Amino acid sequence: MTPVLSVDGLTKRFGGLNALDNVSLEVAAGEFVAVLGPSGSGKSTLFRCITRLTEPDAGSIEIDRVAFESLKGRALRKARGRIGVVFQQFNLVRRKTALANVMTGALPRLPLWRIASGFYPENLAARAGTALASVGLASQRDQRADTLSGGQQQRVAIARALMQESRVLLADEPVASLDPQTARMVLGMMREMAKSKGLAILCTLHQPELAAEFADRILLMQSGRLRAFDAAEQAVP
Amino acid sequence: MDQPRDGNRLGCHGAQEHGSRRQRAFLPLLVLGIAFYLLCLHVSEVSLSRLLEGLPRLWTWLVRSWPPDLSELDILIRRGLETVAMATIGVSFGAIIAAPICLLSARNIGVSPIVALPARWLLNALRGIDSFVFALIFVAAVGLGPFAGVLGIAVHTAGSIAKLWAEAIETAEIGPVEAARMSGAGRLEVFLHAQLPDVLPQLASILLYMWEFNVRASTVLGIVGAGGIGQELKNSVDLLLFDRVLTILLVILVMVTLIDQLSAWLRRRLS
Ligand SMILES: Nc1ncnc2c1ncn2[C@@H]1O[C@H](COP(=O)(O)OP(=O)(O)O)[C@@H](O)[C@H]1O
Ligand SMILES: [Mg+2]
Repeated sequence: MTPVLSVDGLTKRFGGLNALDNVSLEVAAGEFVAVLGPSGSGKSTLFRCITRLTEPDAGSIEIDRVAFESLKGRALRKARGRIGVVFQQFNLVRRKTALANVMTGALPRLPLWRIASGFYPENLAARAGTALASVGLASQRDQRADTLSGGQQQRVAIARALMQESRVLLADEPVASLDPQTARMVLGMMREMAKSKGLAILCTLHQPELAAEFADRILLMQSGRLRAFDAAEQAVP
Repeated sequence: MDQPRDGNRLGCHGAQEHGSRRQRAFLPLLVLGIAFYLLCLHVSEVSLSRLLEGLPRLWTWLVRSWPPDLSELDILIRRGLETVAMATIGVSFGAIIAAPICLLSARNIGVSPIVALPARWLLNALRGIDSFVFALIFVAAVGLGPFAGVLGIAVHTAGSIAKLWAEAIETAEIGPVEAARMSGAGRLEVFLHAQLPDVLPQLASILLYMWEFNVRASTVLGIVGAGGIGQELKNSVDLLLFDRVLTILLVILVMVTLIDQLSAWLRRRLS
């Protein structure tokens, strides 16, 4: 199967520290890949370099076989639309409603006056409502983001990624701020998205049991290096 | 007196030595400071005898100002409203000029330094020159009257608003910005969607504060002929009509207090 996301030789140094050391990986459509690693191993750096929220020092990133690492300006923005993101701290606009936050995913398609006024076109508002309903938040659509619980906020963030109709979903410790039961629900929804929409999901986690339960494949991060988590290791508790 | 106690509390020889060294440096600084102050006193021509000579004159004016001359109260109130109008329109024009400058100079929008640095120079230049000075120039350019005052307020206030707005925008959270940027949206879209809602109450509060401040500050613009109640004040002082001056001061006081209260109330509601 051809990968949707493929990363090759990704490297990032902070001073003398190799935060990412020649990292390569591939994620296929419909696949949920987990990156496991202790705190400080470079998981967030991997996430930020693939999205180019932080610029990597070397390596290539391809989305649907199109080079992403060299894009600039308008082309970079357009390509970023193919990557949905979920952050540990949700990163919702606090003072906006759940629906307006989901609308973030359609931002490039909105004229400035609609963004500023919050008068969204009906077809997009309906789609955002559907996205919210699919994460079980239909009745919270007009509630302000900062009045939602952590689990609800992260589900809004997932709906935001759904709205974007991206090909890839990158998630950086999406459940680290949530209680175990909510964490399972959120990861379950992400897995469901991979299977039903053919989304390629790369998700960093630090709990092995969650990775084992939800991921199709697990990669291990240690001091900036990535390697496969083999079955023998998986068998050892 | 605090210095040696400080040294003792630290309780070690090195610290005591450090304390006394600081004390030794303190004395010449104190002498220098006093000398500077005395020089300023001399340059400002402060003179107790001249104050004493002037006091009886002030007293007779004060006596003559009572009762206040209310015969032209309606005209004076109208001139007070002119000052409020000048400040309101001046600040609104200033805000319109400030909006693009603050977006270019805020550090978290993603504007290249090649543009951001000149934008910051511009706002500092506008801020550095007082409305009074700008009004003086505009009176020469567009003639006497409130419009010159409006332009003076607008140009100076644009710099002040842009600076305060840029600082407020820089306090916006970065997380939602990164999320919005990943949708593929441009800087302006991201600003309007993810940063503006976060800081909008602060921006509105700053605008109200600038309005309130300018109503107070623009009472003097009339002195250079730039309209408002200040013009009446200057005329009346020149003609030694002290009962009229008292009425004008009362009108200013009531007007400024009302605007201050209104602005403070609105700003409380914003936060
Ligand atoms: N902006 C930065 N500047 C300097 N060092 C950084 C920066 N970001 C991360 N690091 C370092 O890189 C290493 C990996 O960090 P990170 O990717 O956040 O790890 P993780 O997400 O797995 O906890 C850590 O040692 C961290 O201190
Ligand atoms: Mg991290």
